[in-house]
Amino acid sequence: MKDFFLHLFTPKESNNHRAKILHHTNLILAIALLLFTSFFVQRLKESFPSVLGVRADISSQELLDLTNKERQSNGVTPLYFNEKLAEAAAKKAQDMFEYDYWAHASPTGKTPWVFIKSSGYKYVYAGENLARGFSTADDVIKAWMASPDHKANMLSANYQDVGFAVKIGELNGEETVLIVEELGNLNMPIARAKTAEIATVSQKTTAVKNITSVDRQPLINSLSFGSNIYVMIILVFIFVFLLDMIIIEKKKVMRFVGHNIDHVLYLLLILALAGILGKGVII
Amino acid sequence: MLTKLYKHTPYYLSLIVILTLGFMLASNNSNKTFQIGVVIAITFFYVLWGIMHHLINHDLNAKIVIEYILIGSFGLAVIFFLLSTSGNY
Repeated sequence: MKDFFLHLFTPKESNNHRAKILHHTNLILAIALLLFTSFFVQRLKESFPSVLGVRADISSQELLDLTNKERQSNGVTPLYFNEKLAEAAAKKAQDMFEYDYWAHASPTGKTPWVFIKSSGYKYVYAGENLARGFSTADDVIKAWMASPDHKANMLSANYQDVGFAVKIGELNGEETVLIVEELGNLNMPIARAKTAEIATVSQKTTAVKNITSVDRQPLINSLSFGSNIYVMIILVFIFVFLLDMIIIEKKKVMRFVGHNIDHVLYLLLILALAGILGKGVII
Repeated sequence: MLTKLYKHTPYYLSLIVILTLGFMLASNNSNKTFQIGVVIAITFFYVLWGIMHHLINHDLNAKIVIEYILIGSFGLAVIFFLLSTSGNY
């Protein structure tokens, strides 16, 4: 057994002084195995979503609380939950799943303002933030706050009300969690202080009525499952390349192969990209 | 090993700079299609740069070319695996 692993991961005479896992045939095998596993995992996700699927625990109340926390820490007045905007957000999410698109404007040219107006919210200012593929409300807010445009929307003093929709559905044939945030103001922001006094306080609340939430806990979370295997595979190859380099250098063996440092640098970049490509998306 | 590294410093430095720039480009844009485009471009660059380096050192052969292509393909296959499991594309 020990000999087998040494043959597989270290350069020896038996493997022509190159770890067997780095031989061309084994690299082709690894690529084929990765592609096969990708298709297999996709089929498994479709057929058994309760076993392997997107794990998410996001509610509109959490999103509102976290948004207001960010606004307060930036010296901006908190947003009030508005049922009409929440209705508009739900309509928008439904429309995106129905017509299979991921954009602020639909393929038929429907803008967010169409959904907001059709819900009966006669806005002076309105805005929209979208997110997909996140597991927690905290991650969604962090991603929006990291993007200058989304952050400007979230912290804008032009908005007074907000509505959220959190829905699970299929986009581009992939199951995903969609988060829609519709922001608005019925009045000119400058006059808000006066109108706020006239408006009945009971109509405005920072508590969400009719909470929309997603709480899905499949046996295996496909997000972390994919990331963990990804990191593991790359680390194994980096380790083998480094080990190969050190042993060959010590043994002073002459051979004509690619530079291991090149491969290690490239694989390090691929490893770093896991943090970006595996994350949810915002627009 | 250090002598070899020192001898090839400009090559490795340029490779590190390009890979870092690619990473920064991909991380500063949340568009997945753009990010995937950057990854493919970097992979292409890495294969080309590796082959060029061996060519300059007069130790290029077909096996080395195949090795760079296979490692590049392996990197893309791992990315494909991550995207298909996360569903974020």
